[in-house]
Amino acid sequence: MKSALKWDVIAKCGTTKARAAVLTLPHGPVNAPVFMPVGTQGTLKGITPDQIEGLGCQIMLNNTYHLGLRPGQELLDTCGGAHVFQGWNRNLLTDSGGFQMVSLLKLAEITEKGVQFESPHDGSLMLLTPEHSMSLQNSIGADIMMQLDDVVSSLTTGPRVEEAMWRSIRWLDRCIKAHKKPESQNLFAIIQGGLDPALRKQCIEEMVKRDTPGYAIGGLSGGEEKDKFWRVVSQCTDLMPREKPIYCMGVGYAEDLVVCVALGVDMFDCVFPTRTARFGNALTATGTLSLRQAKFKDDFRPIEEGCDCIACKSYTRAYLYTIVTKETVGCHLISIHNTAYQLRLMRQVRESIIEDRFPQFIHKFFKDLFVEKAAYPEWAVNALKSVNVDLIQGENQP
Amino acid sequence: MTSPLKFQIKQTSAKPTRAGESARCGTFALSQSNTAGTDQQHVKRTIETPGCLMYSLKGAVPHLTPDNLRQQSFGGVNVSLEQILQTDQPGSFSRWPETSPIPQFTGSKFTLAEYLRLQDLITFCDLRDYSYAAENFRHPTTPPTRKLASNTDNHAVLSTPKGIRQLTLDDYLKTVRHYRPDVVVALADTIAETTAPNEKRVRKSLERSLKWLDQILLERAGQDGTIEDRRAEEEKKRRRERKEKRRSAAAAAKAAGEQQEQDQDQDQEQGAGTSKEKEEEIYIEPIPTEPWTDVGLFAAVGGAHLEESRIWSAQETAKKEGVDGFVIDTLSLSALDKDARLKHVQTSLDHLPADKPRLLYGLHAPEDVLEAVAMGIDLFDTSYPFQLAEDGRASLYYYGPRPAGQDKSNSKTQRSINLWDDEHGDKFVPILEGCRCYACKDNKHTRAYINHLLKTHEMLATVLLMGHNMYQYSQFFILVRESIQDGTLQEKSTAFLATFGKEPTRTLEKHPNQIIVEAALQKRNQRLEGAEEGVVGVIGMGASTVNTPSLGAAVGAHAEDVEMEDSESKSKKRHETEEAGEDGGAKDEVVEKKVKKAAVAESSS
Ligand SMILES: [Zn+2]
Ligand SMILES: [Zn+2]
Repeated sequence: MKSALKWDVIAKCGTTKARAAVLTLPHGPVNAPVFMPVGTQGTLKGITPDQIEGLGCQIMLNNTYHLGLRPGQELLDTCGGAHVFQGWNRNLLTDSGGFQMVSLLKLAEITEKGVQFESPHDGSLMLLTPEHSMSLQNSIGADIMMQLDDVVSSLTTGPRVEEAMWRSIRWLDRCIKAHKKPESQNLFAIIQGGLDPALRKQCIEEMVKRDTPGYAIGGLSGGEEKDKFWRVVSQCTDLMPREKPIYCMGVGYAEDLVVCVALGVDMFDCVFPTRTARFGNALTATGTLSLRQAKFKDDFRPIEEGCDCIACKSYTRAYLYTIVTKETVGCHLISIHNTAYQLRLMRQVRESIIEDRFPQFIHKFFKDLFVEKAAYPEWAVNALKSVNVDLIQGENQP
Repeated sequence: MTSPLKFQIKQTSAKPTRAGESARCGTFALSQSNTAGTDQQHVKRTIETPGCLMYSLKGAVPHLTPDNLRQQSFGGVNVSLEQILQTDQPGSFSRWPETSPIPQFTGSKFTLAEYLRLQDLITFCDLRDYSYAAENFRHPTTPPTRKLASNTDNHAVLSTPKGIRQLTLDDYLKTVRHYRPDVVVALADTIAETTAPNEKRVRKSLERSLKWLDQILLERAGQDGTIEDRRAEEEKKRRRERKEKRRSAAAAAKAAGEQQEQDQDQDQEQGAGTSKEKEEEIYIEPIPTEPWTDVGLFAAVGGAHLEESRIWSAQETAKKEGVDGFVIDTLSLSALDKDARLKHVQTSLDHLPADKPRLLYGLHAPEDVLEAVAMGIDLFDTSYPFQLAEDGRASLYYYGPRPAGQDKSNSKTQRSINLWDDEHGDKFVPILEGCRCYACKDNKHTRAYINHLLKTHEMLATVLLMGHNMYQYSQFFILVRESIQDGTLQEKSTAFLATFGKEPTRTLEKHPNQIIVEAALQKRNQRLEGAEEGVVGVIGMGASTVNTPSLGAAVGAHAEDVEMEDSESKSKKRHETEEAGEDGGAKDEVVEKKVKKAAVAESSS
């Protein structure tokens, strides 16, 4: 199908499956691997678009379900889409809306037609079809839009997983057919198939035939064991076309990002950095600081040495301790810092791939974050070993 | 003593608007030695008067991060001591760094300005948040307690974020020495009651405030201000000791009745000794102090609703050498209506020197500002634009001729609009045509978008509203100053009132749409509580072996919507829970989990 993006791999890691690329979208270039902050309602937690841009963010995520409810499709059409609506001139990605319905709403029922759910406004039954999702996402105007997929929990087993996989493929066909702006918006397919390698393989084969501009690995992060999670991711990146961007949905913890990049993933999104900011938790290379704790009362250091975000350039932990979760400014500052942290992490990952020292970066990253090797998560050790990085033994190897 | 502050009156209104006083405009700045510093960050701004100090909460201007704050042109910030002083300060100042720990300010002394990232603004430090003098003033998260236990001769009572605390004169002085704000208001016994205080209470408060002021002035000049107190204390102590001695001597005498004769002699001797002691001069070693003459000192003048007291307070305070400016107390007038309050303000002003700046709290709506300016008030604060933003309101008022292009956005010549109103939902126009604030400029953020942000409970709404309202307030003051200079203050003030009428009384009621949105949020959080429990156990960093999300919205979107905590007791409880947990990133999942649970429980309770 038509594509409105350009995918240029500029460097490949000599050891792992990681790669550095430039993804050129209708609203400008995106350096990959990339982390995309989530602005659910068309805004990122009190941070202005200028501030987000100032952090070097090139692509942000909006949620179709939320924007469909408010401001609604009609208003989005009137004003010319979500970019204009929120004053954001860089790239946007939207999900299909299906996931929210299944996870947020009671009585959501999936039929071949679509996802049927109870309106949160008046309780009446509503139906989200692939066609409707496409229509909404066309109105939003996101640079990347996601197909409506049949979401099942990653803990589900049995025939339901296979049914969801086949239905997702059928819905992809309906999405492709209903997509009205393939020349300016890129539709990504979502690989389903649960934790079953055979189903994943089948799904990839079918979806690759549809030749969408990019692919996402879906149906994960639902409570499955991390050791199973990474194996699915790795299997998918092995089978997916290497000339297209690969997006792993809903991943955003620092070590997950580093591991998944090593496994060959290019794009990530996560609400965690800004959500946790709200509770006064600041992310750093050496771990999370819960700034609400009294031990920071007399800690006159910035959140993170060397961070050039407005919070670290302006305030001490001692002062932030007095305002986090009390004043909205405290929340904004930590949100800014956490977003800066995520984006910086991805920049560092990317630079190290370009300079072909990603394995060394991984070693240092885990040492900074977990200190003791005994504390390294076993799944991460296993995952990295599968791409030739031995966290336990191989620290001194190139 | 040379003042660190420079107040220069450029022009006094040619046409006095009231008998006695008249409007004036000028500049309020720090003298050269206090603005030392080489880079841009350290150059202090000047406050043009009549002008504003920015209102702050816990040392931060509400909703505005430092970068957004710098888009405003105000020259100073008002910081309430009661909101930033920790319960264990000044004790914990032992760990206060000598020089700034912020990398970009390395080398400069670590003062309140460095601590609060206010290096380029005049830092004005008062004791309490007196904005509560304004009608129906509201703060969304932590309202300070207004009515406190009474002050005593030894301390004033403050409402800090961690509860009520007593601030002794000594603590106050130590705090000022560490914080080194550009201007500090002298410790005073302010009357905060909502009912009119009686004469005795008023007199007592004024005497106490004046005595503290004397002591503060001495300390500031490097002398021991509390020496008289300590001498009196010593005298009391010795008297007590003598009494004790006599009593024990008498008891001993009783026990040894057989040696009566001898004892009588002793008694005589003792009596002689006592009278000798009385004559003895009590010498108290003064505590040498570092002068802090680089800090400007304002003094509060009060007197509640009693004219004589107001006059006396103003006259006595004005006599003190070294006072750089005055805060006109209106908190003790809260039982009165606006006109009566203004009358009493005038009484104070009539007895203050004309060449020093005067600050007024609590009368902050544009037409009140105009009246106060006409009376000769120089400094206000920005609590008015803040309150509007809290209500979802955006300013549309203008002073003087209507600015070009504004007829479109303000055809009904409204003072402000409420962005919660449904009518703005489809208005893809700026709040105010021609406004140069971040939101309005280039139609970046429309009324429809702000309406959407309010209805989705997103914090960017107040960020944008605050920025716009602050910008409009600063524009208003610029035009007011111009009208003083060109002699049109009275005329334009009359026109303003004719156009916009009086500020409607602020109610504490929420907009109907806000009530709906908040109720829906609460319901949603309640409904999701069960689902939340299911995943909460695995939220966390690395150590977790089970993969949960992050997934774009499922857990995230609603957890984000959980209300910010608003109750001190709740926060305390959660705080304790949290402190029980381990620290540090990877090991922090317990904390995150607990915080999350608490937040969910809270939002549904
Ligand atoms: Zn930072
Ligand atoms: Zn504006």
